Amino acid sequence: MELVKLFNAFPGAISQGLVWGLMAIGVYITYRILDVADLTVDGSMATGGAVAAVMITSGIDPWVAVLCAFLVGLLAGLMTGLFHTAMGIPAILSGILTQLALYSINLRIMGGKANTAVNVSKYHVLITSRNVRALSLENPICLLLVLTAVLILALHFFFGTEYGCALRATGANQNMARAQGINTRFGTVVGLMLSNGIVSFSGAMLTQYQGFADVQMARGAIVIGLAAVIIGEVVFGKLFRSFWGKLICVSLGAVIYYLVMQIVLWLGLNTNDLKMLTALVVAVFLAVPYWKGLAVQKKIRKRGV
Amino acid sequence: MKKILSIIVALCMCLACISGTAAEDKNYTVGVLQLIQHVALDAATQGFVDALTEKLGADHVTFDIQNASGDSANCTTIANGFVSANVDLIMANATPALQACAAATVDIPILGTSVTDYATALDIDNWNGSTGLNISGTCDLAPMQGQADMLHELFPDAAKVGLLYCSAEPNSLYQVNVITEYLTAYGYECKPFAFADSNDLASVTQNACDECDVLYVPTDNTAASYTETIANVTIPAGKPVVAGEEGICKGCGVATLSISYYDLGYATGLMAYEVLVNGADVSTLPVETAPNAVKEYNADMCATLGITVPEDYVAIQ
Amino acid sequence: MLDINQIVKTFNPGTITEKVALSGADLHLQEGDFVTIIGGNGAGKSTLLNAVAGVFSVDRGSIMIDGNDVTNLPEYRRATFLGRVFQDPMTGTAATMTIEENMALAMRRGEHRSPFRWGISSKEKKMYRDELARLGLGLEDRMSARVGLLSGGQRQALTLLMATLKKPKLLLLDEHTAALDPKTAAKVLHLTRDLVRDHHLTALMVTHNMKDALQYGNRIVMMHEGKVIVDVNRETKSMLRVEDLLAMFEHTSGAALDNDRMLLG
Repeated sequence: MELVKLFNAFPGAISQGLVWGLMAIGVYITYRILDVADLTVDGSMATGGAVAAVMITSGIDPWVAVLCAFLVGLLAGLMTGLFHTAMGIPAILSGILTQLALYSINLRIMGGKANTAVNVSKYHVLITSRNVRALSLENPICLLLVLTAVLILALHFFFGTEYGCALRATGANQNMARAQGINTRFGTVVGLMLSNGIVSFSGAMLTQYQGFADVQMARGAIVIGLAAVIIGEVVFGKLFRSFWGKLICVSLGAVIYYLVMQIVLWLGLNTNDLKMLTALVVAVFLAVPYWKGLAVQKKIRKRGV
Repeated sequence: MKKILSIIVALCMCLACISGTAAEDKNYTVGVLQLIQHVALDAATQGFVDALTEKLGADHVTFDIQNASGDSANCTTIANGFVSANVDLIMANATPALQACAAATVDIPILGTSVTDYATALDIDNWNGSTGLNISGTCDLAPMQGQADMLHELFPDAAKVGLLYCSAEPNSLYQVNVITEYLTAYGYECKPFAFADSNDLASVTQNACDECDVLYVPTDNTAASYTETIANVTIPAGKPVVAGEEGICKGCGVATLSISYYDLGYATGLMAYEVLVNGADVSTLPVETAPNAVKEYNADMCATLGITVPEDYVAIQ
Repeated sequence: MLDINQIVKTFNPGTITEKVALSGADLHLQEGDFVTIIGGNGAGKSTLLNAVAGVFSVDRGSIMIDGNDVTNLPEYRRATFLGRVFQDPMTGTAATMTIEENMALAMRRGEHRSPFRWGISSKEKKMYRDELARLGLGLEDRMSARVGLLSGGQRQALTLLMATLKKPKLLLLDEHTAALDPKTAAKVLHLTRDLVRDHHLTALMVTHNMKDALQYGNRIVMMHEGKVIVDVNRETKSMLRVEDLLAMFEHTSGAALDNDRMLLG
């Protein structure tokens, strides 16, 4: 249990957190901006991984593969969006349906195989966990920081445009949005597409980082995504007020999530209890804003009488 | 915030350098990464631990056994922990565990177990028995030819064989493809039946029973977890199941030519000893297969279905 | 400006909760009309406004706004013609967005929203500041505050301003002061009158306050069982008192005016 081992593990936890931070930013778009709990991500993240794995192993440039993963993710979002708007299925159920369908689609993408290896020594990949301790630009943390920054800036600008504002209004108040002439159904579809595109993109990065794509690789991803969003808000919420600042919080939330995981492992806790611990950590972070609210009310009551 | 982050990163890297030069002593640290809680994988881990403890003595080896609870993202986290702790050897139990470790380090020797096909799992062309990487291990591929022979020995009159497997298992499709070849040579018609999870398992099994005379279930972790579900369909349908491994056979099969995962893990442990103490080069160390396979049968199931097996079969306890 | 022709709407048809909300409602507004609508519980006042706004599609009849047949247009397309203020102050604004962002959204009502143009320009910010200043609520100094922090009255005043920022063909006011305290309600009503007058707007206002119905607007319309039963023009309206209205209602509908929220004085 030397501390050195823990510190040693931090670069790995940070880069893994940054990869999932990209994913969590996608979740933020649906969960916080559109006010929709979208469960498609469990499928679309694996889709991104599958697309990237198949393309990279057939010798295609990883940047092209990542871009394609983003585009395929858009389609996954479109599917959920159409289930929701054109077929009137509740958002949560639409996401679950797409997630289900994506399982088969992901298998098809990988040619029926459940697992596709991406040999880091054989193919050019953008990031790999092998280099987390490298003191060079090869270190995945460098590229991930750049990608996170680019993504956050791009989203900051997009949600500042006329259409971006309309999307935010759609999530904030559908009645108001429609009264202002905003097509809220179309907006919801666009938001779901964008979100799943980003999630799929992060899946493509994860596949390269971990060296394989697996149909099961993103099982429970939504929990990690939501955890990142909430941890980010609770821990850093006070520091940032602007839109880009909030997205930074989300990314940092994912990093903290993985640092905590690494600490839990370092403490030598029984890994059979990992899922329970995850659930408890997320539950505590979820409860913090509620407890804060209660405390404030108590204060007001005391003062008020 | 970014500043703090970069300081942390830099700090970690410095520490990484320091610990890298730490002096070695005779107490070996071995990281064990197991994909999921599972009877067969548990047995392999146990066999590995037992073998290495016997060889080195309990005072000279420390095991850090971690379980990813079926979540491949956890595999990466755990592998990262092992690499940063600079363990002497990593044992990766099951395919995604091996892949996560392979991506995490090129220096620390890795031994896999419960992996069926190293060439596919690690994406190696021109497979020649060893990986050429910092990786070796044991392969859990059951003797497929032997299993095909067994199926023919027990059910020579059957016409169509249904191959039931989970589409999420990397190794199952591989086994199904291999045995299809052998069974077709015997003149059987083969049809694959893939299920996604426990939810569609019953109906897929029903489908297979309706169409086929005999079912074959390969070494499949998911199938192994839900043998009751399979038995609940196959027994009323009166269709026998030939299983790829003992655990599945015990639950829903009539017979199997099974390898022991404990023995497999034990063999892996012996390889670890060679690497740690005798300095064997892991990159040229050939991947080993299961030590021995035993013809076994499920007495209750055979009685229920009215099947008698030859004398040389051993009843599963 | 507005022609509502014999519209019919039945909610939950064929079920135990079936409700005929509009049964051939007919109403025609000239440009510059400011019509107040009164009526009993479930008379179809709000339903009529929502039918015009396109919240649901009607079963029969047609709706024309300024010569455009909007009967089959979805709600967001009709918004081009309409400014709307709702009974619930939470409905008309986006709470998580700032005051200026809300105004910028309203400013672009009925226009193409580009994903490449910035959502709000500094030039318009100045204009919004001037507009907010006329409310006299001090909102012009809080333009980048979230609307969720405002009081109900402030939000309602802002919604009203947003509804008229880009001149609508028709302003729909659905009991927009009902949720406010009397003092704030009076303020918002004055603001309504001023805005309608200054921008020469055509407006349709549902109210449960008889006095307000008489005091504001140039026409009074009474609804009963999904129909317009009384339509009082400007000349007659100026001479009416609340008692006259009640008598008129009872005479025409054959029933007492049963609105448990109705304020007579």
